[in-house]
Amino acid sequence: MAFEPKPMLPGDTFDAARRFAEASALKLARLHEPAARAAELATQWAAVLELGWAGTLVPEACGGADGTLLDLAALAEGAGSAGLALPLAATCAVAPTLLAGQDALLADLVAGRLQPCIVLDGLTAEAGRLSGRAVGVETPPAPSHALVATGEALYLLDLAGIGFARHERIDGRLTLDLEVQGAPATLLRPDAGEVIRRARDLGALLTCVEAVAAMGTLIQQTIGYLLARQQFGAALASFQALRHRVAEMYVAYRNLTGLVQAALAEPSWQNIAFAKLRLGEAGRFVAEQAIQVHGGMGMTEELPASHLARRVLMAEFEYGDRHTQAARLLAA
Amino acid sequence: MDDTAELAAFRAEVRDFALTHCPPEIRAVVAANGKLGRKHWAPWQRILHAHGWGAPSWPREYGGTGWDQRRRHIFDEVLAECDCPPQYHHGLRHIGPVLIEFGTAAQKARFLPGILNGEDWWCQGYSEPGAGSDLASLKTRAVRDGDDYVVNGQKLWTSHAQEADWMYTLVRTNTEVKRQEGITMLLIPLSTPGIRVREVRTIDSWHHVNEVFLEDVRVPAANRIGEENKGWTYGKFLLDRERLGGANVAPAFRFLERCRELVARQLAGPANALKREQLEYRLLLAEAELRGARELGKAAVDAVMAGRPLGLMPSELKLSTADTVQRIGAIALDAVGERVATRFRPVDGSGPNAEVEDIEWVQNFMYLRAKTIFGGSNEVQKNVVAKQLFGM
Repeated sequence: MAFEPKPMLPGDTFDAARRFAEASALKLARLHEPAARAAELATQWAAVLELGWAGTLVPEACGGADGTLLDLAALAEGAGSAGLALPLAATCAVAPTLLAGQDALLADLVAGRLQPCIVLDGLTAEAGRLSGRAVGVETPPAPSHALVATGEALYLLDLAGIGFARHERIDGRLTLDLEVQGAPATLLRPDAGEVIRRARDLGALLTCVEAVAAMGTLIQQTIGYLLARQQFGAALASFQALRHRVAEMYVAYRNLTGLVQAALAEPSWQNIAFAKLRLGEAGRFVAEQAIQVHGGMGMTEELPASHLARRVLMAEFEYGDRHTQAARLLAA
Repeated sequence: MDDTAELAAFRAEVRDFALTHCPPEIRAVVAANGKLGRKHWAPWQRILHAHGWGAPSWPREYGGTGWDQRRRHIFDEVLAECDCPPQYHHGLRHIGPVLIEFGTAAQKARFLPGILNGEDWWCQGYSEPGAGSDLASLKTRAVRDGDDYVVNGQKLWTSHAQEADWMYTLVRTNTEVKRQEGITMLLIPLSTPGIRVREVRTIDSWHHVNEVFLEDVRVPAANRIGEENKGWTYGKFLLDRERLGGANVAPAFRFLERCRELVARQLAGPANALKREQLEYRLLLAEAELRGARELGKAAVDAVMAGRPLGLMPSELKLSTADTVQRIGAIALDAVGERVATRFRPVDGSGPNAEVEDIEWVQNFMYLRAKTIFGGSNEVQKNVVAKQLFGM
């Protein structure tokens, strides 16, 4: 029996999220035009909101499921295992953390009336007006607002009437570029420093969960490919150089899994920073080598493994890359 | 899994004992990353035994402590944190359990007490010039002659042979059968005529491994473990018992901390800023990897506690830690190399700089090359992992 990754958080939640993400990936694989893909993502995002994922961490009083971090992590793991190209961590973890205590907004978030992108860097505030430029901000397909952190303060910016460009990230997710000059915004909290740091860390943690799940599938697909592909009259899986490479990928993946599990068990900022730091190293290694051992196939856009590899590569840059995490740990 | 109050108390008890009873001069050698030998291990073993902690991994009726796997793990962890020598020597962890499982009553009575109190020192005669990773190809021959075996051959990489009393040895007693089926385990006193021990000079300039030449060495058949030609089974039993050895990452964490102190001390000041920051960054990467390995170690202990198979965990642990510890050694080398690698061995003369401070870091860098070679080289471990992953 060839390798099958074991989920950290097995169960119905994981299974359901995985099935959703696999179906999503199949549909997206047939679409090549970014605009067509964005339209498909919009349909899928509506389904995600319908399923109530955005309310996982939100109190019942606001329409949420009042779930735990582990409930959300199980979703992220299932979704991540098939590289779901939707802003799960941002909408389901970062946004509700930032909005803690703002019951009306939380209810809007759950109901899909509030569909924010999260701007943690790049904008400044003066007298309730926001200025600056934030690029490559992960976004739901049709963002209604931006939740904006300016140092210690938290603002809500209505995006109605504000023009912005959208891009696809290397992993197929949607981003927007925001540039505002004196845009009026609602001050949600003046003293949100702690909350903002916490929200960013939870975003990093869930990104790690998604990425490690993607790495598991990526290794599984790589093994499947090497078993099936024949060259020089033998399965590629019989060549020791490739077998050893895969063993190294697996060990890197297992090591990172250990760190992510530790961070889930005790989500201190240090545990999260170490996991994210290691994701930078281990994730990059696994992604690069998966492409390498797939040979020319690894370079193709259509290959599911190449999509997962790009997802893993991208994950490093979300919520602080390895050097950002290292700087925090060294300064502590 | 985190400690319960009971385990926390146990941890504190071990720490207290270690700090008050392990001789400071021995701990200083560990703290300085020095080379450990019988003169450090044996007294510490005697002290532990006198306290009733001589053999945590043995059954209680043979002097064991009755601790479960988690307590034993904590015990090893705390010893490392306190810079005590790891309670890991060939008598206690290798041949002792084999004697308990397969030894005769007379063998147990003869050998177990000396292992427990640290009086008898053991080494392992397994590898040979032509049998390293592929141990089953060993050729040292033993021929039955009356009540004795007559042994001829050569062992290699024999750690501690220069200071040991006994060598448990795999020898070939049948050349007609499958390689694994013609091997016998003998206990050989190193004082037996016909044995010659020669140091293998290694790149770290420490004396730890040897060649052992055996020429018409007469070994009483009473020194045979179990049955003739079943030695491979006993050898494998021994290795299987030690599969959790890699779960204790605490020594690696201590090594990391010492290296971090070295970097801070050696590279203070603005002129060294770039180098210091780079080394600090590399240390952090190593720490992240060790933290991951520590979680794998905990999972392995949990698996043993729950009676689940370990599967690939031992290989994962080895592959997750061996290179990392090497990388830490390399960071230290980068910190001191310019000053110290240039003065590796004294030639002659004396003066204020004749003693080379920090030379152990260079020796350790060299020594640590062996981490990915012994106990199943990384390449062998990757073969094991790949075989499981590919199902072929």
